[in-house]
Amino acid sequence: MYDERVRRIRRWIDAVLRGSASALELLADLVSGSEDVELHTVVTFRAVVDAVVPETPELDPELGPDHVPGGLGVDLEEFVVTYVDDGFQLGLPYLGPRGNVPLADPIAQLLDVAALALLDRGGNTGELDDDRPVSLLDPGEASPREVRAAAGAFSKLSRRDRLRAVGLLDELELEISQFDGELFEFDGGLVGQLVVGFTEMIYYSEWQGYDEFTQPPSERVHPNDPAAVQSWRQTGYPGFSPGYAALRGYLGSDDGPLGDGDAWTTVDEESSVRILREPGSFRENDYDTSDYAEPFPE
Amino acid sequence: MVGNDYDVVVVGAGGDGPVAAWKLAEAGLSVLVLEAGPFYGNEQWPAPSERPGGEASSSVADLSGELLDEQFTTREFEMVNKLLFGPADHERGFWFRKFPGDGAILQCAGVGGTTLHYTGCHPRAYPASMDEQGHWPIAYAELLPYYREIEEMCEVTPAPVTAKEELFFRGAAAAGWPLLHDLNVTTSGYRPQPNAIRRPDPKLHVDAGYDGPVTYPEVRGDTLSLGNIAGNPHPRGAPYEEKAKRSSNVSFVPAALETGNVTIRPNAFVTDVRTETALGDAPTATGVDFRDTWSGRTERVDAEVVVLAAGAIETPRLWKNADLPDNEWVGRGLTIHFGDNVMGLWREADLDERLGKGTIDQHEGQDIAARFDYPGLGMLQTVGTTPGVGAILGFGASASGFTFQNDPADAPWDTMGRLAGPELKRLLADYRRMLQMLVVSDDRPHRRNGVTVTPGLADEHGPIPVVNYEPSEGDRKRRDELATIAAEILREAGAAHVHRSDSPPTALHVHSTMRMGYVLDEACEAYDVDRLFVADHSALSNGVGGANPTNTGQALAARTAERILDRHF
Repeated sequence: MYDERVRRIRRWIDAVLRGSASALELLADLVSGSEDVELHTVVTFRAVVDAVVPETPELDPELGPDHVPGGLGVDLEEFVVTYVDDGFQLGLPYLGPRGNVPLADPIAQLLDVAALALLDRGGNTGELDDDRPVSLLDPGEASPREVRAAAGAFSKLSRRDRLRAVGLLDELELEISQFDGELFEFDGGLVGQLVVGFTEMIYYSEWQGYDEFTQPPSERVHPNDPAAVQSWRQTGYPGFSPGYAALRGYLGSDDGPLGDGDAWTTVDEESSVRILREPGSFRENDYDTSDYAEPFPE
Repeated sequence: MVGNDYDVVVVGAGGDGPVAAWKLAEAGLSVLVLEAGPFYGNEQWPAPSERPGGEASSSVADLSGELLDEQFTTREFEMVNKLLFGPADHERGFWFRKFPGDGAILQCAGVGGTTLHYTGCHPRAYPASMDEQGHWPIAYAELLPYYREIEEMCEVTPAPVTAKEELFFRGAAAAGWPLLHDLNVTTSGYRPQPNAIRRPDPKLHVDAGYDGPVTYPEVRGDTLSLGNIAGNPHPRGAPYEEKAKRSSNVSFVPAALETGNVTIRPNAFVTDVRTETALGDAPTATGVDFRDTWSGRTERVDAEVVVLAAGAIETPRLWKNADLPDNEWVGRGLTIHFGDNVMGLWREADLDERLGKGTIDQHEGQDIAARFDYPGLGMLQTVGTTPGVGAILGFGASASGFTFQNDPADAPWDTMGRLAGPELKRLLADYRRMLQMLVVSDDRPHRRNGVTVTPGLADEHGPIPVVNYEPSEGDRKRRDELATIAAEILREAGAAHVHRSDSPPTALHVHSTMRMGYVLDEACEAYDVDRLFVADHSALSNGVGGANPTNTGQALAARTAERILDRHF
């Protein structure tokens, strides 16, 4: 059963990448779609953001109220979709804006396939819940009926099961890479990178502070202030600085050329290593590799 | 205006190409350097990500610190997107490369190449990796004069100590490792990083009570603020050549332009190497075709000698797309320093006791300023990151699933895997009490690992590179051993929690795909094509033992330039 699922997923993935690879009809279809992001994609990417950087009321007693809001509170999913759609290009100018390959829709589809595979294998710990996708949208954004109809299996999983589904794609990619023949299978691991890695990087970066990141670089404005970046308030990162008076000195020891002058602090009571005020230099030594022993021979 | 005939054309203005260009131009040759990405900090291109700008730059007077300040904002997300390998036009995405596995390839496009976001680390190779491992056709000693020349140009010195380095040194000493003083490293131990970053202004000492502006001219040299991965324009306000980090655009490009014999043309993607073949002879390189990434026009330039310096992915890609004679090692033998991340988190009281303050503040100081060497295994480095880059490197990727799927009960770390959800937020809430160590292993060249191209998957510059990498059992053991040592050092330094990423293969250092001794002869001229040389990290015969490769790549490029002069001019 599972093998059949893997084969099906693999065929699907092959199709996606063959499409982007050789500019076949599939990709043309993707590109010719409307500018609006499909509701399914919106819901799925909200489900991603909600699992990766969730709202965490449970952190309030421990860390304070600043640590409660998550990615959905700053519309992170909208930018992740834009980023995934604009971020990769195959240099084919007739394919979409500037030849970029829009990947958000196929990734959203793939996450559903992964969710089904997780269910199929019994790897989920919670049950599918039709109300989850509805709760990911603000009241009045779309009717609950529409959302239930558009939502796929991924967005109906619990937060942790969504992560398990993403994890399954990593595993799947390893299995896929053992097949030969079809060279351009999409590796599932890239999906994990995009939806987990990039979501985390964007969230914890300065991204939220821009009025509009998609502006030309010379017109972008950033206040460089934690007041404008929720994640900076959560990490204590103070913003970018031209420099710090943070120099403690230079490493040196009694018997070497690395440092000189007054000791500022001792690194280890047992050794002669100090942090010194004045810098030294490395020794241009003769070398001898005759004692070299390979720790793990090939 | 770019002419159509030069003594030498160099393909790529990354870490190594400008070194070769500088040496050749100093000897009086006319040199054209073609670079696929933009030229930042140059008055010919006032908005290099938005408009085509000028055509080429041949004068050091074009370089502008003010423009570099404007273009290199140090905002991490913006700069990662700006610098990673892709066209200058900000509306276009990255150039696609396929990397099976969950990893990524981190290379930059632009004059300066990947040295735009390298952290200035400039150690030499481990001598044993050249003299004992059997991959190299030349001895380590042959590189020594070139190392000295490069280190002088790049102003390599032992890096300064801030809180995060002090914490690491305390841990390494307490774990029983010795302090190393030597440039040629043959034993294991710890030391300050040999960094190609100017020393910080002494007035930035914590005891000096300085509270003036941390900008030029009040402050000269390094300013101890993270920014290297984001291009590092510090000190702000300084002229282009006074920028503290000696990336190749700051060290070698001005020197090359100063000769008056070098023209650099950015936004020029080389798509073909032209050859002529006399009857019964090996082909001889005669020039290249390149495509302007803004206009899409293809142009041609002739040269007596062609030097490929497009990096360990694009050089073999170009070779294959140019349909040059193949041998079984073209594109093969890729090493990437199969790496990992091990993180320590501290309690405030423990830091107070060791550092005299309750935070490490990894955003202060140089990004990477302390290291641990173990010839035969590889190296460890402390890494300060801004939170976004730290999150993706340390927590966003793993080859072993999420932390909640792993039980590291008997392991030297408390958690392992990818982090998300409340666990991620809780850990990153301790950003200022966290220190990350980068594990960099001495992975060995294997023929299965490397770069291929397939006609089915092409972009505007031809079939794209498909990169394969699967570490060997030995590579994994070396990495595991280093991760264990990292965990011990962090514990000895007082960390209350240790996390290991078990990162997927991520190519931060990319080398050995056009290996000297396999594809290239001892002068780095191709065995199968006359007058075609390689002067980038692809020419390295292995991963130089796991030490950061920039110094060795540049030293070899300097040596190759001399060989070119000896053989052909």
